[in-house]
Amino acid sequence: MAAADSPSAALRRRDLCSRGIRLAGKMRSDVIDLLDAYVERQGLDASASVAVFEGVPVAAAEHWDEQTGTQRLLENLSAYRAFRSLLAQMLEEQREQLGEADAPLGQALAAVLLQVSAFTYHLEELLQLVSPGPPSEEGPGPPLPSHLSLFERKLRGLGVLRELAQWAVRSARDLRQLNKSSPGSSSAPSPAESP
Amino acid sequence: SPTDSHIQYERVGADVTMKCGSMDWDAAVTWTANGTDIDESHLNGSYLILKNVDLTQSGQYSCYEGSSWHLKYQTYLRVGIPPKEPVLMCRSNNYPKGFYCSWHLPTPTYIPNSFNISVIHGTREMVCEKDAFPRNRCHIRYLQLFSTVKYKVTLTVTNALGKNSTTLTFDEFAIVKPDPPESVVAKPVPSNPRRLEVSWKNPSSWPDPDSFPLKFFLRYRPLILDQWQHVELSDGTSHTITDAYAGKEYIIQVAAKDNDIGTWSDWSVAVHATPWTEEPMYLTTEAQLTETTSASTSSFMPPPTTKICDKGAVVGS
Repeated sequence: MAAADSPSAALRRRDLCSRGIRLAGKMRSDVIDLLDAYVERQGLDASASVAVFEGVPVAAAEHWDEQTGTQRLLENLSAYRAFRSLLAQMLEEQREQLGEADAPLGQALAAVLLQVSAFTYHLEELLQLVSPGPPSEEGPGPPLPSHLSLFERKLRGLGVLRELAQWAVRSARDLRQLNKSSPGSSSAPSPAESP
Repeated sequence: SPTDSHIQYERVGADVTMKCGSMDWDAAVTWTANGTDIDESHLNGSYLILKNVDLTQSGQYSCYEGSSWHLKYQTYLRVGIPPKEPVLMCRSNNYPKGFYCSWHLPTPTYIPNSFNISVIHGTREMVCEKDAFPRNRCHIRYLQLFSTVKYKVTLTVTNALGKNSTTLTFDEFAIVKPDPPESVVAKPVPSNPRRLEVSWKNPSSWPDPDSFPLKFFLRYRPLILDQWQHVELSDGTSHTITDAYAGKEYIIQVAAKDNDIGTWSDWSVAVHATPWTEEPMYLTTEAQLTETTSASTSSFMPPPTTKICDKGAVVGS
């Protein structure tokens, strides 16, 4: 396996970062569309403030600009693993609650889950490149919301999608920082990023 | 004492009664407004009565004891209006450093107002540091990025006649709006009659274009047409227009937006440029050609003057 800072590894890293930025951008626009549909279908108020539910990864970060590349990747990875479980739970609940009555929402949810899974693998690959070693352990998934009422679950779903939309923006920024600090990177974003 | 600087605020349209200090109602007195005696019709005993005051009646009112001309009372009357709901706007043009809020009153009050602004993010109160200039503006530093918790900004305006307030609630990413691109330059491309090369710079207020890249929107049209043509560019700060009408002067503007969040900036300053055109060949007639051939001078005579535009071929701000 190429040393972390060999030219080919640096190129590989920049390519992974650039593709990751585009993946995050696409994921974000799909999550925002899903969010609009979710709010409407679940009869929620789009401007409602939602408390932070346990297990939902919060995108807000202080001193974000001081993080190292590995810290960024580890925090991203942990968040998207949690979102993968959360979205799977939401999909399960959605099918139980609405069955086929609302197939489009289910399909949109499943599509975003797929993107989150793909992005998680992408991050794992990048982490291996940036800081080779044993793969980071996947912690226990977020607790199942068995004690929550139906309305609370809907609010939780809203909170999940809002945080995911913010994480997608944060991930794109993180990957740009990673791109910037990768060996041999010029300050300008790599041509691979242009549409 | 009577000459203590005493300001009295009254609303436009109010009826105002002024007593002559400690003088009895039936005491003989004289009232002046800005040094001019006031007609007795405005007096009720020693009280001065001003009905339905208007802005022009602001001024210094003095009351003198009839015989001794001792100054018994003096006040400065300020006629004004309670503040209406202030107009408040918050925006981040230097994301992710922070955002600023600016405000103004929809109508003047004619008397001094004081403004107080509070910025709450979740449970945290944030400091809005007043800008020296412009006056009605302050800025807040982001302590957190990528937050889904909304910001709540409340502006309260108070003056002697009343109080009013406005509250804005917004997401961090919703108020991101860069300043327009700067140093826009457009120039013809030699030997290409349908091309124009446009370049610009990121707005200088945008702190970190590497980590927070901007995308751009270019619009251009020949001066003779009203319909703009648009092109969105997500990379780099230059573009070559390849479908310009030959020989037509163009007007060009650029706008910017954060690649991921927020809204488009205003349009940049407009620049003008005209695509490259072939130098016209001033050929003389056949007859003259044969005559001049023996003189072996070139038949091609340069055009009187080649004037592309006043400031040379490159036009830009």
